[in-house]
Amino acid sequence: MEKGKGRFLHNWIFIEQRVGGKLGVALLELKNVGKNFGKLQAVSNLDLIINKGEIHGLIGPNGAGKTTVFNLITGTLPATSGNIVFNGEDITRLAPHAVAQRGIARSFQQTFLFTFSTVLENVLIGFHMNLQAGSLKEFLHTPASREADREAREQALEIIDFMGLSAQKYELAGNLPHGYQRALGVSIALACNPTLLLLDEPVTGMNPVETTDMVERIRKIRDKGITIVVVEHSMKVVMDVSDRITVLNYGRKIAEGLPDDIKKNKEVIEAYLGEDESDAA
Amino acid sequence: MSKAAKIALGVLALLLIALPWLLDPYRLQIAILTVTYSMLGLAFAFSLRVGLPRLDIAGWWGVGAYATALLMQRADMSFWLAMLIAGIIAVILGWLVFIIAMPRGMIVFLLFGMVLAMAFYQLFGSLEFFGGWGGTGIIPQPTIGSFTFANKPELYYLGLFFLAVNLLVYYLLYNSKIGRAWNAIGSSLKLASSVGVNVVRYRMANVLIGNFFIAMAGSYYVAYSLVAVPSAFGFNFSVYILIYAVIGGFLHSLAGPILGAAIVTYASEYLRVVQEYEPIVTAAVVILVIIFMPMGILGLIDRRVKPWLVHRKLYAWLRKGGGKGEGEVSA
Repeated sequence: MEKGKGRFLHNWIFIEQRVGGKLGVALLELKNVGKNFGKLQAVSNLDLIINKGEIHGLIGPNGAGKTTVFNLITGTLPATSGNIVFNGEDITRLAPHAVAQRGIARSFQQTFLFTFSTVLENVLIGFHMNLQAGSLKEFLHTPASREADREAREQALEIIDFMGLSAQKYELAGNLPHGYQRALGVSIALACNPTLLLLDEPVTGMNPVETTDMVERIRKIRDKGITIVVVEHSMKVVMDVSDRITVLNYGRKIAEGLPDDIKKNKEVIEAYLGEDESDAA
Repeated sequence: MSKAAKIALGVLALLLIALPWLLDPYRLQIAILTVTYSMLGLAFAFSLRVGLPRLDIAGWWGVGAYATALLMQRADMSFWLAMLIAGIIAVILGWLVFIIAMPRGMIVFLLFGMVLAMAFYQLFGSLEFFGGWGGTGIIPQPTIGSFTFANKPELYYLGLFFLAVNLLVYYLLYNSKIGRAWNAIGSSLKLASSVGVNVVRYRMANVLIGNFFIAMAGSYYVAYSLVAVPSAFGFNFSVYILIYAVIGGFLHSLAGPILGAAIVTYASEYLRVVQEYEPIVTAAVVILVIIFMPMGILGLIDRRVKPWLVHRKLYAWLRKGGGKGEGEVSA
C-alpha cells in the first residue's frame, strides 16, 4: 500500500493540473489528512488537490473511505490529523454550517430531504444563507424582504427547471420517486450557490435514462463554473463524467490521474475492477 | 387564508371575547387556566419546530412567576415592569444554562430540561429566599393607572391579550426567514447544516424566545393567583404541557396546543371524581390518542374531514394556491 502511494502521489498532481485546456488552480487541498474511528483508520495520510473548474471523480471499493472524505471536507466529522484548505483558508476545524457558508455544498448518499415541504420550499431553504434582507425586516415583512423573497423564488424555480423537476415543484418531497429525490438533493445543494459541489453517489438507484440526464446535468453545472467532486459506485458513470480521478482503497490513495490511465492502472484493477468485473464494463 | 377560514376565525374571536357573559365564574376560572396553559403549550410546540422537546417548561414558568412576585413584593415594582424583567431573567438564565446543553443534541437537551425542572421546583421550596414551601405570600394586583385587574372577566381579558401577543409573534416568526431555518432544522438536522444553517445558534434563539413567553405566562399566573407556590411548578406539569401539544396535534404549532389545553383543562375538572387516579386516567387517554390519532385532533381533521368536506380535486387545487401559481403548503 505504501509503495502505491509513493508512486502516484506527487507525480500525477503536477502533470495533470492542466485539465481541459485550462490551467488548474487548486481550489481545495487536503494535506496529509487522516481520520481514525478508535483503532480503525478510515482515512490515512490523504493528499488530494481539487482544481478549479474540474469534475473530480473519487472512487474505490466499499468501505474505502469516500464518504468519510466528504464528511471531513464539510466538517461533519472532525479530522484526526492533517489540514484542509479551501480557497486559501484553513477549514479543517470549521463546523458544517460554516463550511457551507464558505461555498461548499453537498448532496447526501442517503437522501436527506425536508420531507414535509414541497419541492419548491426545499430549494428555497437552500437559499437561506443567500437572502440578503435583514432578519428584522424579514420578520416585519417589509417590501424589500418581499422583493428578496420573490427573487429567491424565481431563482429556485430556475434551478428546479434545470434539474427537470418543474412538473413536481408543488409536490411534497417525501412523495417523490427515488430518482427525483436525488435530483432534488442536488437542487438544494445548487441553491446554496456553491463554489465547490460534492456529490455523493448522485445516480445510485436511477434508471439508465435518468442516469444519462444526471450525467449531462453534472457537466452543465461544471460549465457554469462550479467545481465538482463526485463519489460514485458505477465505474461507467465516473469514467464518463470525470476530468480526473482519485482512487481510494482502505482509506489510502492508490492512484490518481485521467480516466484512461486509471482504467489501465494495475493496482486499481486489482483493488477495484478485478473485484467486480461487471461494474467496469 | 380562504374566506371561510377568515369568517370562522372572526366568529371564534367574538366568542372568546363574549365568554365572560356566557360562563359562570367557576367556568371562567377554567377559561383563565386554559389561556395560561395555552401559552405554555405554544412554547412547547415552538421548540418542537427545531426538534427539541422541552420538559423544563413548568420550571421556567415558575421562574417567571417567582421573579414577578418577588419583584413586586420586595422591590415595589409595577406588574408590567416586573413582567418585563422576569422575561429578561428567564432569557439570561436560559442562555447560561443551555449554552452547555445545546451543542450536545436533542437527548442531552431533553434530560437537561428534566433535571432543570426538578431543580427549580426544589429550589423554590427549600430556599428561604423564595419563601419556602408555603410560597411568596400575597402580592398586589396588577394595575394600569387607577384601573385594577381585580375581577375574573378583567383578568380573563388580560390573559387573552397576552395569548394574542404570543400568537402574533409566533405567527410572524414562523413565516420569516428564521422560521424557515427552524423548519429546516426540525425536518433534517444534517441537511440544514449542510446548507449553512447554524443549528446551535438557531436552536438557542428558539429556546430563549420560548423562555421569554413562558416567563410571560408565569407573570400572568401570579396576576390572578396573587401568590407563587412551588407545588404549582412541579415537573409533572411539564408532562401535561407535552400532552396539550400531542392531543391538539403537534404539526399545528398554533392551533394545536390551544385546542389541546382547552380539552385537557376542561376534562380534568370532570376527572376530579376519580381523585388521585386522575393521572392514570389521563395517561390511558393519551395512550389511546397516540394509537388512534397519532397526529392529534387537528391531524385527524386534516386527514379525514378536510378531504371529505371539499371535493378532492378542489382540495388539491386549493393546496396549489387556488390557481395563483404560487403554491405554498403552510405547515
